[in-house]
Amino acid sequence: MIWLEFAIMQRALIACILAGFLMGLIGVFVVRMRLSAIGYSMSHGAFAGAALGVATSTNPLATGLLFASATAFLIGPIADKARLHADTITSIVFPLNMALAFVFLTLAPEVGLSSQVANVLWGSIISMTNSDLVYLTTLFAATIAIIYFIWKELFAIMFNRKLAEADGINTKPFIYLIILLSGVVVTFSLKLVGGLLIYALLFNPASTALQFLEDMRAIVVASPLIGMATTTAGLLVSLALDLPVGSCIVIVSTIVFAIVLLLSPKRRRKEV
Amino acid sequence: MREDAIIKLEDVSTVYEGERRPAIKDVNLTLKRNELVYIVGPNASGKTTLLETINGLLPTFKGKVSVFGLDVQSNGRKIRCQIGYVPQDFMVKPGEPYTALDVVLMGRYGQIGFLHHPEEKDKKNALEAMKLIGIEELADRSMGKLSGGQQQKVMLARALAKNPKILLLDEPFSNLDPDSRGQIPSLIIKLHKEKDLTTLIVTHDIHHMLDNCNRVVVVTDGRIMFDGTPEKALPLVENHPHTTSLEATHR
Repeated sequence: MIWLEFAIMQRALIACILAGFLMGLIGVFVVRMRLSAIGYSMSHGAFAGAALGVATSTNPLATGLLFASATAFLIGPIADKARLHADTITSIVFPLNMALAFVFLTLAPEVGLSSQVANVLWGSIISMTNSDLVYLTTLFAATIAIIYFIWKELFAIMFNRKLAEADGINTKPFIYLIILLSGVVVTFSLKLVGGLLIYALLFNPASTALQFLEDMRAIVVASPLIGMATTTAGLLVSLALDLPVGSCIVIVSTIVFAIVLLLSPKRRRKEV
Repeated sequence: MREDAIIKLEDVSTVYEGERRPAIKDVNLTLKRNELVYIVGPNASGKTTLLETINGLLPTFKGKVSVFGLDVQSNGRKIRCQIGYVPQDFMVKPGEPYTALDVVLMGRYGQIGFLHHPEEKDKKNALEAMKLIGIEELADRSMGKLSGGQQQKVMLARALAKNPKILLLDEPFSNLDPDSRGQIPSLIIKLHKEKDLTTLIVTHDIHHMLDNCNRVVVVTDGRIMFDGTPEKALPLVENHPHTTSLEATHR
């Protein structure tokens, strides 16, 4: 593979592996804790933030992180307190973040779809820098350490939040931590897939693993591996067909999900 | 003297978020150590709210709830580590990726503490609780593949696995098969006596309580309408049309 000799491609491959793993891992907690609406809103919060970064010529990573965290800190407690339905949160916050993102992109110094704007929208492997890899590697180590130390609480909350509370676990801080962590992971993976499609990377691997595994520990191991495999496969497809990497990653992960859905032993059993 | 009030509710009202009408109103109730109290009443009369107010899962709108002499609102987490709670009609979806042992072991998580992982002794405790309930052979089975009655036994084992000082059981025998319905209540009563527990059971099985409990509390429309001996409670409960029909259904 001659393309692997290029530093850009090596960085892209490493980024795919790290981001695919992280998104797949966090996705399990987001899906099982029914935080999908919040995750969806936050993914697009990161997108709006990155767009602001492009518009103001500041680091899109920093502004993306700021917006994702702000969305997490606002939506988490509001949804909890007001007991809003998931659809309500998504319906209000998603269009707002998209509207903000497009306003910011319109205000970008270079009018039209400049390369930086396109990177924020669709993702770009050539934009991955060594610093991005350092950030992703640090985040990779930190996320695994955090999940290892609070695994017991997460395991119980994913089963049933009310029962976890009844057994003496204060569930709120753990849920907020997962929301925040998913915001950070989304932001650092944004360059790879782009703001419009990043959401799929958070949910597809976890949803795929949940289709065929019946042990939560196995799901937490399999989902990051699926994320890693689909992002890498998406990268290869994008290189082979000269298509946008973000789109290819999402299409590959959706195809994998669809195949697993059709072959799912859980579904087959239900039909019997 | 072992007359200490383990659970004490003083003029307690609980209102669910978004609702105006309190689910329980001006409730005064004291339970001493080792008391076994049955709570009976029609559906939606506030029985579950009463249990969840005691363990602090629901915040009180008015009044004070103390357990072990501690205010539940400010010490909820600490208190809940000592309470075995079985919720009403708890069922998981088919394919739920947890084994029965996972679920029973979770009962100990609050006691294990933050940043610590379950040890061998915790697993041993969980398995002992399962053995006690007679479900040790289900330990490695997926929760989603168990029947309603088996799941209910898992929830009972979960409540017992933490070696609680208080048991709050909300219709804990409703899904059990006829054999288990004879055995499990007797086992709970035996444990209650042996382990010096304070036990509150919400039930519709009003005849079973006669032999085993000191006290019956009848809750209607969010208020305690009767608090006394089972013998005096029985005519009151039996004459209530809703309770009678429910009991017939359960039987």
